[in-house]
Amino acid sequence: MQFDHNDSGSSLQSEINITPLVDVVLVLLIIFMVVVPLLIEGYDVDIPRASADTSAPVAESQLILSISSAACPILTPPAGEGIPKNCQVTLADQKIPVAELPARVAAILGGRPAEQRALFLAVDDRLNYEAVLRIIDLAKSRVEDLKIEFVAAN
Amino acid sequence: MRLGEPARMQAAINITPLVDVVLVLLIIFMVMAPQMRKGPDVNLPNTTKPNSQGDERGRILVSIDEAGGLWINDQPVAAEHFDETLRAAVGAETNPKIVIRGDAKLNFREVREVMVAIEQEGFRGVGLIAKRAGAEGK
Repeated sequence: MQFDHNDSGSSLQSEINITPLVDVVLVLLIIFMVVVPLLIEGYDVDIPRASADTSAPVAESQLILSISSAACPILTPPAGEGIPKNCQVTLADQKIPVAELPARVAAILGGRPAEQRALFLAVDDRLNYEAVLRIIDLAKSRVEDLKIEFVAAN
Repeated sequence: MRLGEPARMQAAINITPLVDVVLVLLIIFMVMAPQMRKGPDVNLPNTTKPNSQGDERGRILVSIDEAGGLWINDQPVAAEHFDETLRAAVGAETNPKIVIRGDAKLNFREVREVMVAIEQEGFRGVGLIAKRAGAEGK
């Protein structure tokens, strides 16, 4: 591109000067391209407290979701999206198919104040990690600010 | 650019080649950037709606690879040295954010053991990193 330096008698310029526009767009592009790969996503969870597990009082309001490898036999990464239909989980001592989980969790916890929205997870050790995360994803899907805490599986 | 005009003396530097070179360099760095991220290649679990965990810089990344090997940030760590390496990685930070990048093929026991090890160091709450289903990248 040639820059016109008209010292005497400026000629009428009918084109829009797009150079600053292009500059700004390129800088924005660079910012996004650099930042986006470094952003990570996931789930906040609390860790089972190895010590003092027995002394902790079990509040009645604790909602426990247990996933056993007998009722939910997902031992290898599930193909595609979602959870296989044969998976059943136990929510508050009731066995339910995993597809009902979001609605059930929302029904039980949705009305509580935010600081009491906690779901306690007892997960069988043999289950596949990806399946566990997908079940957490399902459980959280209809409740805002749901806290997830792992407890020891029986 | 105007064609058909008589040639004039041009005092401005022609910046077009400069811009070309800079853009190419930029593209090279942008392509390389994902490979420069911390830690080993981990095939992260796919989920539908993971929450944002912010920028991976400033987090302590604990990775568990397919074979169950442990990594803290970009260093492989033997299981028996996990505790002191984690403490060293945290350093003097008062409120460290620890995230676990576990491979999708792991079973839950391996991830739970790492969570317990982190808890025993006194850090409560970790982020379990997942990948939004359908998103590109590793």
